[in-house]
Amino acid sequence: MSYEGDYSPHLMPDFTAATGIPVDVQSLPTTASHEKLLTAHAGSALPDVLMLFNGWIREFAMIGAVAPVPTPALTAGIFPGIRDALRIGGVEYAVPWSVAPQVQYYRRDIVRDAGYDTPPLDWEGWLQMARAIKRRRPDDYVFLMLLNWPTALLTMMTQAGATMLRDRATRGNFRSEPVRHAFAFYAQLFAEGLAPRALSTEVQDPVAAFAQGYFAIWPSSPTTLLDLRRREAEIPATRWGTARLAGPTGPGPVSGDSASLCVASSCDRPQAAWALVRHMTSRASELKFQRMIGNLPARLDAWDSPQLAQPVLAAFREQMAQPAPIPPAVEWERIQSEVQLAAERVVRGIQTIDAALAALDDRVDRLLAQRRALVDAGKLA
Amino acid sequence: MTRETRAAWGFTAPVLTIIVAVFVLPTLLAMAMAFTDYSIYALADPRNLHFTGVNNFTTLFATPLFWRAIGNTLLFALLGVPMAIGASLFAALLLNDATVRWKPLWRVVLFAPFVTSVVATAVVWRFLFNTRFGLINQALGAVGLPGIDWLGDPNTSIPAILIFVTWKIFGYNMVVFTAALAAVPQDLMEAARLDGAGRWTRFRHVTLPAIGPTLVLAGVMSVAGFLQIFAEPYVMTLGGPAQSTTTILYFMFDEGFKWWNLGQASAVALVLFLMILAVTLLQTRIARRNEWL
Amino acid sequence: MKHRRAIITNTLVVALGLLTIAPLAYMVIVSFMPRGESGTLPIPLWPSRWSLENYHELLVRRQIDGAWFDYRILPALKNSIGVAALSTLFGLLLTVPAGYALAKLRFRGRERVVQLLIAALVVPGQVAMLPLFLIFRQLGLVNSYAGVILPGLAGIFGVLFVRQAMLAIPDELIDAARMDGAGEGRIFVSIVLPLLTPIVITLALFLFLGSWNDFLWPLIVLADQHRYTLPVAVAAIAREHAADGELMMAASVVTTMPVLLLFLALQRFYLTGLLGGGVKG
Repeated sequence: MSYEGDYSPHLMPDFTAATGIPVDVQSLPTTASHEKLLTAHAGSALPDVLMLFNGWIREFAMIGAVAPVPTPALTAGIFPGIRDALRIGGVEYAVPWSVAPQVQYYRRDIVRDAGYDTPPLDWEGWLQMARAIKRRRPDDYVFLMLLNWPTALLTMMTQAGATMLRDRATRGNFRSEPVRHAFAFYAQLFAEGLAPRALSTEVQDPVAAFAQGYFAIWPSSPTTLLDLRRREAEIPATRWGTARLAGPTGPGPVSGDSASLCVASSCDRPQAAWALVRHMTSRASELKFQRMIGNLPARLDAWDSPQLAQPVLAAFREQMAQPAPIPPAVEWERIQSEVQLAAERVVRGIQTIDAALAALDDRVDRLLAQRRALVDAGKLA
Repeated sequence: MTRETRAAWGFTAPVLTIIVAVFVLPTLLAMAMAFTDYSIYALADPRNLHFTGVNNFTTLFATPLFWRAIGNTLLFALLGVPMAIGASLFAALLLNDATVRWKPLWRVVLFAPFVTSVVATAVVWRFLFNTRFGLINQALGAVGLPGIDWLGDPNTSIPAILIFVTWKIFGYNMVVFTAALAAVPQDLMEAARLDGAGRWTRFRHVTLPAIGPTLVLAGVMSVAGFLQIFAEPYVMTLGGPAQSTTTILYFMFDEGFKWWNLGQASAVALVLFLMILAVTLLQTRIARRNEWL
Repeated sequence: MKHRRAIITNTLVVALGLLTIAPLAYMVIVSFMPRGESGTLPIPLWPSRWSLENYHELLVRRQIDGAWFDYRILPALKNSIGVAALSTLFGLLLTVPAGYALAKLRFRGRERVVQLLIAALVVPGQVAMLPLFLIFRQLGLVNSYAGVILPGLAGIFGVLFVRQAMLAIPDELIDAARMDGAGEGRIFVSIVLPLLTPIVITLALFLFLGSWNDFLWPLIVLADQHRYTLPVAVAAIAREHAADGELMMAASVVTTMPVLLLFLALQRFYLTGLLGGGVKG
């Protein structure tokens, strides 16, 4: 999946040298990986070790695709906040690996021209700054928030204090004040022309667009560090910086694409598989990976390393201690995409916020119908 | 059993067996599955599989996206069939003209897109349709027209994909029509010309009746084809923007293989099947009434 | 008058031809541009220098810092060729004799079979996909080449296509051979097949193209990237590397060129087969 997949092969030579076990790494496109892995499980064709985004672990555990972690030693020394969030019914199914909270990448020069040293961290201030930038650069945008990518909006909702599912996560809770607040703020950014109404299929090269000043604020994950380093010729390191994402009154919990490593329950050599997981989540591997793709180590002791003291990582470091909670429904991945579709309809002026949220609750209630029945029957905790 | 009968069954049994095994049987199973709640919970534990009657259909009919998918698909068919057939007919008539030279060459050129892979050429066209760096907007700009956000605007995403699809497939029916045009009775054409009939009258009263059946058949096949559009939005738009290119098949793929609601997805498949059946019956009936077939 | 008309029609044909071929030509041109060139304004129509770097990155397994990087396009090419060749071979073996039998051999139930096949044409294949996946899962065919190929062998269209062509061949030839005491297999091989050659070539190309370009089913049934066919591999790269226009164009060239060349080589048979003048005799 994305850079994790592309760069994992770099972690393998050491492992193969130490154990004699050859590893074949396969990388799936991020937007297709959930369906490919689910289908692979249904067809009994999962790889031995797989990376799952943290939001998927509950689902894959329920369908019996991934095996429980055999020994607590594997997760010892992981940030407690991250580890505890992934425990399902008291059982661990995954070893947290690559932590990727979103922060805002900003163009120092553009922000400075608008009269700011760093972007404000509260929504009102953020908006004022964005308007100031837009006044100076009317043909460009300020934010890049892709319309088929739910992370930015989910973060806003969490920060506004929303609890998205209610009744033991068996019903949607989207007609609530915090959600409405977040939706309104999100939609406003598009309505004022501060963010382009674009899908990921349309923005051919976001790094180039960032370099050209097509937008100035880019909520994104640590892997963007790698992109920016690679393209230093186009956008020198002095021209951009990182800061925590703005919240209603200041920074708060943030959604991200943090990922963990799991072993398939169909794996016929679990010892080797867990050994690989241990290797990939070791301090040395985590630091090596951080150097290569930017994602942060989930292991506490890795943070002693001077490598992680770079100023550009400070925002991530603060942010990773505050992950957004993941609602305990296996349908969550799907619900997220429904939330984003509702937001897209609002942004494009097809529906009002109230109509979209009512439709969203209705839709989510239907999606959760089976879960509701199972919870009511006591078959599901 | 005679020798001939034995040979006949020997020749046909293998393919018929496969057709039954991978086509007939699964189709029947799909119809049965449409009435169950096969989902990710049943994948986890088969005891979670229940017969739920028409529940899937009531849920489906209450899902706005389902109706959008139907609407989008019908729009694809409604706009796409005239576009594709029109382009094919235009090209065939043009190539049929006595004054055109190097006909075999042009026939090959115009047919070429048909043999290419949808996925590969969809990637190419996504590139051509790019708002800022696409050749198409560049060409529009060259003649003073404003650029269009082809795949990013819900109002132009379907036309954009249709332009691609038409480019891709028109060559096939062009060849089919060329064959039909060759069978237009020349003596009748000559007689009409001597009667002083204009070009349009000759086309309307001589050419069209002669190629009518072919046209209808091509129409039926095209409708069925357009109702099954999937790879184009999968590669070019992921069903967006604002779900404006989510087709029935895309919706079925999402429900089935993305979210593993196989019960729900089977219900969608059944609806698609009924739609295609209805359209085909309707078209053949109209064709029969007008004696085109 | 005649002259003016010739100018108009020929101009139109040339314009149409250029318009049709332009996207393919542009695909080839961009695939040779240095990385990033296509994303600059004004859009270049010609490479500043002809570069093979995209093909190199796409096709060659490279070692960087001791780790292998590979888009696995060459294996996918090999898989696509293998899958398409086997699909074609088995498809022909299954459909040609059946089509002949349904046209020329007299047996009870023949008309019924033909009617059912024609009716089945209306059922979209995708309806069968969901249960088929579950069946294949039980049979262990998911993520196997057999699993990719099998559904394509239900060649309803092929059978009817051959039958249609067969109907145009006079019965006398076959009956005469039968009078001479030739066996049914012999008649098929030495009398029918030679007559059907153009039809068989057309159908073969049809089957090959169908299998080569098939996307939805391989996408669903293949999990292991070593087994991906080209369209599945290209779609996967296209999702992640939309930014790399030149690389994607190179991938498209690799996917389209083999079938385009095959078509060009066989176009005479193929187009004649489609034009309906395909059967001698």
